[in-house]
Amino acid sequence: MNLVTSMFLRRMRAPFLLVICAYTVAIVGLIIIPGVDDKGNVWRMDIFHAFYYVSYTATTIGFGEIPYPLSQGQRLWSLVTIYITVISWFYAIGRVLRLAQDKTFLEAAMRSGFRRDVRNLDSPFYLICGFGETGKAVVSSLTEEHFRTVVIEKDPNNLNELMLNEMPEHVPAITGDASDPEQLELAGIQHQLCRGVIAVTPSDEANLKIAITSKLLHPDIRVACRSEISEFAENMKSFDTDYIVNPYETFAHIFALAMHSPSLHLIYDWLTGSPNTRLSDPVYFRYGHWILCGYGRFGKQLYKHLQTHNIPTTIVDASSEVETEYKATLDKGQCKFIRGIGFDADTLKEAGINHAAGLIAGTDNDSNNLSIIMTARAINPDVFVVARQNQLNNHALYRASKANLVMRPREIIARRIRVLFQTPLLIDYFSLARDRDAEWANITVSRLSAVVGEVRPHLWTVLISKQDAPAICHGLEFGRKITIGHLICDPNARNHKLKCVPLLLSRDHEQLLMPDDDAEIHPLDKILFCGTRDVKNSMQSVLSQMSSLNYVMTLKKEPESYVWRKLHRYFNREERRSESRDDASTDN
Amino acid sequence: MNLEKVIFSFFMIMALTLNFGFFYGDVDNPAHHNVIELLAVIVVNLIATVLKFGDRSQMGAMLLATSLVAIVQLVSASVVWTIAVHVHDTGLTSGVMSTIVSLSGGAMLANIISVILLMIETTMLRH
Repeated sequence: MNLVTSMFLRRMRAPFLLVICAYTVAIVGLIIIPGVDDKGNVWRMDIFHAFYYVSYTATTIGFGEIPYPLSQGQRLWSLVTIYITVISWFYAIGRVLRLAQDKTFLEAAMRSGFRRDVRNLDSPFYLICGFGETGKAVVSSLTEEHFRTVVIEKDPNNLNELMLNEMPEHVPAITGDASDPEQLELAGIQHQLCRGVIAVTPSDEANLKIAITSKLLHPDIRVACRSEISEFAENMKSFDTDYIVNPYETFAHIFALAMHSPSLHLIYDWLTGSPNTRLSDPVYFRYGHWILCGYGRFGKQLYKHLQTHNIPTTIVDASSEVETEYKATLDKGQCKFIRGIGFDADTLKEAGINHAAGLIAGTDNDSNNLSIIMTARAINPDVFVVARQNQLNNHALYRASKANLVMRPREIIARRIRVLFQTPLLIDYFSLARDRDAEWANITVSRLSAVVGEVRPHLWTVLISKQDAPAICHGLEFGRKITIGHLICDPNARNHKLKCVPLLLSRDHEQLLMPDDDAEIHPLDKILFCGTRDVKNSMQSVLSQMSSLNYVMTLKKEPESYVWRKLHRYFNREERRSESRDDASTDN
Repeated sequence: MNLEKVIFSFFMIMALTLNFGFFYGDVDNPAHHNVIELLAVIVVNLIATVLKFGDRSQMGAMLLATSLVAIVQLVSASVVWTIAVHVHDTGLTSGVMSTIVSLSGGAMLANIISVILLMIETTMLRH
């Protein structure tokens, strides 16, 4: 039996017994006590009449004295009836109301509701553990793409926000510890349609445990974990965790992109942003002397990239342990280490802020970072500033500080996870694009914005398989030569191209960056496109309908229904024959 | 000795004995079947049912089911009685009476099963 029903029945046992007993006493009394009928004879209520009388009296409906006016004895007993039955009803109703406010009962009801919600999910869904800032960003970006999500979060206050915010899809959520296997099972980790687990709780340890549990309970599932500490990341890797997202490492990659080419960084920022992101202005990285304040997990990652580009860097850090650690690994003479936090002018001047090209405010304290930026800008207004934002609610302050690049860990993780689960090819795209020169990136930006506009385009991947692209597969089986150019042809208007750009063509051993229109398509190719959402739908008809494919390949409209097709073929017999004769003659 | 068990068994067995008392006699003779006894059977059966509420064991579920069957049978018997006497004024003819008594007979069977289950549970406890 359901826990909620059984709990209800168990609690209601006493009130029900009381109601039954009160009714019985009242009915028996009414049967025994004599009354008088309209002719003056002695008359006793039978069971039927007594039950009727008690029923309307106990519920305080009170039809009156039916069928005959009551005798004095019956009236006396009616008083008893009224008090015992009405009070027992009130007691029963009070019990129900109290039960409805009972914490354990409510929790049991919520859990069973959640279990039902999860069981009834009928499309692929993702399980998100942790609904903090990162979790929120991940959930909203997944639901915007109409993926279903299930949330487990420890703090009920965070979940209240989910109830208040309107999501495009219903998101079943439960309060609980996500590292508890029982909770994960309740949230549907073994559900057939569970596609992935995203562990973004603030604790690395909990994320590790979630990864282990997920891989054990549902080995086929894809698991993404947030991890900031390398030991945990190593451990996660040993459990075949599919994606490990480290915000510092990811930001270091973004930093490297900006270093490589402003345009490429711009493309990254645009394509991985939320759906309404507009193309912003490029960030021009400056080469020269750099100052790095805060040599922690964040600073070390950036330092690595500065070193690979041979940029002279001065490190500023308050901790002596960090200094000895740094000096132990020192091998290049051009780098200096200065003790101090860096928010005072003297330290910054000693580090060479006057002639510095760039400054990284990377301590784990927002007020320190902001004051480093303020002091540095006061001395050298042109310095390029990279800032690390630790608290989400300091967003406005960092914007006002006009830092050129701001690292927001939560946003970076959410973006990364969105890309990993929705368009993993985009990561390959950027790793290939990094090998191209800055000129290539500039041309790409102008090409993309010319075709799809300023607002972030929709990204989608086309897999040339029998299921996703039946028409193309059919055509390829006939030995037709189908190219990217055919795919981006508008199936409704000849000589018109769809407003989309192929970003990457990926097959077993090779990947083509920005393939040309005449690049050939083979079975099982994956192609990453960007464009507007309605373009994706138009393209779908070329992929799945033979008539559309024929049209874009031959520029001829073909009828779609069976009868019409037969008729068309019959009437065009002559034309076809002459055409094939023409073909034969030109071949010769 | 467990007081809960005593009360529970008391109502179960009481339901069976009262039911038998009502059932016993000629099937179509109204003089052999007392209406107050029918009322008592229904009330005792209702109490026995409510006492089984919320028991999540397999045995508890079986006992609840048999009691519900008995209640359905007895309530239909009382409805037949009421309709015959008060609604249609046909009175307790032998046809009506035998319907009522056979319905209560069915309820008795359910009550017997209840008591047997109760006995099985008790003997299993011994081991």
